[in-house]
Amino acid sequence: MALVHIDALHKHFGSNHVLKGIDLDIEEGQVIALIGRSGSGKSTLLRTINGLESFDEGRIEVDGERIHPHETDLRALRQKVGMVFQQFNLFPHLSAGQNVMLATRIVKKMPEQDAVDLAKAMLLKVGLQDKFDAYPDQLSGGQQQRVAIARALAMQPRVLLCDEITSALDPELVNEVLAVVRNLAAEGITLIMVTHEMRFAREVGDKLVFMYQGRIHESGDPQTLFANPQTPELASFIGSIN
Amino acid sequence: MNEIALSAIIRNLLEGAAWTLGLSLTAFVLGGIAGLILLFARIAKNPLPRRLAQAYIEVFQGTPLLMQLFIIFFGGSLIGLEVSPWIAAALGLTLFTSAYLGEIWRGCVESVPKGQWEASASLALTHVEQMRHVILPQALRIAIAPTVGFSVQVVKGTAVTSIIGFVELTKTGSMLANATFQPFLVFGLVALGYFALCYPLSAYSRVLERKIHGSRAH
Ligand SMILES: Nc1ncnc2c1ncn2[C@@H]1O[C@H](COP(=O)(O)OP(=O)(O)OP(=O)(O)O)[C@@H](O)[C@H]1O
Ligand SMILES: [Mg+2]
Repeated sequence: MALVHIDALHKHFGSNHVLKGIDLDIEEGQVIALIGRSGSGKSTLLRTINGLESFDEGRIEVDGERIHPHETDLRALRQKVGMVFQQFNLFPHLSAGQNVMLATRIVKKMPEQDAVDLAKAMLLKVGLQDKFDAYPDQLSGGQQQRVAIARALAMQPRVLLCDEITSALDPELVNEVLAVVRNLAAEGITLIMVTHEMRFAREVGDKLVFMYQGRIHESGDPQTLFANPQTPELASFIGSIN
Repeated sequence: MNEIALSAIIRNLLEGAAWTLGLSLTAFVLGGIAGLILLFARIAKNPLPRRLAQAYIEVFQGTPLLMQLFIIFFGGSLIGLEVSPWIAAALGLTLFTSAYLGEIWRGCVESVPKGQWEASASLALTHVEQMRHVILPQALRIAIAPTVGFSVQVVKGTAVTSIIGFVELTKTGSMLANATFQPFLVFGLVALGYFALCYPLSAYSRVLERKIHGSRAH
């Protein structure tokens, strides 16, 4: 049974039909690279998986648990699905360590000392063990994004969603974040990432999913697809990126 | 100029100023409590409290404070309630203050970026936990300057209650002006009194703001 199972998923924003029947299975430990032009529905698809967007039709299951289309009690689901955003979205009034600890303390009711230890371990994992007490505005963009990754990991999610997590970074800071993601992939964490970093997608991804006008237009092994796109749309998309 | 008369004027004005201050504090504290309730109603998920709070705010922001005072003061006696000028003034200003503070604070809550809601939601925090740990601490920081700024409006707003006969600074001033035939002197002192009440508030808001900005990094 797939860890994430998506079946005939439809989503509208008003009269705009944004997801037009998405079928996607993601196995435990897979790294999925989601690519496609702006407006093709990548973010929307990602956000339905942790309930940040509702959907109109179809079925989503995460770890055997079904998400209902207009579910409001998403607490159980969201403990299984972590998310990292393009704009980091760190809590500016909390230090890096407090950002990482917040949900483990409040949602998981972890004792203070355990939460501190876990937060330190997570910061170590992203190479920021010495930034526990730093506030977000004292960190570079790359460091902030790594704290955001540590914050998501502290909840020990079954799957991590990443929406263009390097797009807001200065070019020289992209690699430090990608290096962290590469390590996570090597550890076997299940990842679904929307990305414009094609080289990274090819190198780290287990499966490439190309979205086009609200549909999965083509998907499969990244190496094969990049070398040999089956549709003119993917061919032209790859051409436009390189 | 008559020395004794001047000291009597000042003594009376100080007493009036004390009532202005008392009324301002009452309205600000009670209005702040009511404003908090309004804030939570305005940002509730349920549309019913949202609409009720919005109607309340529109009524009190959409009519002059003086009319609100008249309605409380004269309306009370119409239904057989003896409403003293003090009660009418305190109640009227409290309602007025709550409507504005509720709306100012809602603006502060809404100016916290959407990404903060999304990040905390995706960490599985409930709505109440998001408010308490993520949104309100940031909104509070944003709210300080406009809140203290509005408290200056409350102090100046108390002058209107002189019309229903509440003897605060302005009312004291007009009575003294009539008795002494020195309106320029008296109202000059009255203005000075308001300035003395309001200036520390705006100065304090600047200090507070600096303090909170500074404390963030340490
Ligand atoms: N909150 C919203 N309200 C209305 N329409 C939306 C909303 N979010 C997205 N859309 C629309 O849905 C469509 C898909 O948007 P989405 O953000 O999923 O695209 P994307 O593939 O992530 O694009 P990008 O590469 O620019 O991030 C677009 O037409 C967009 O305008
Ligand atoms: Mg997007």
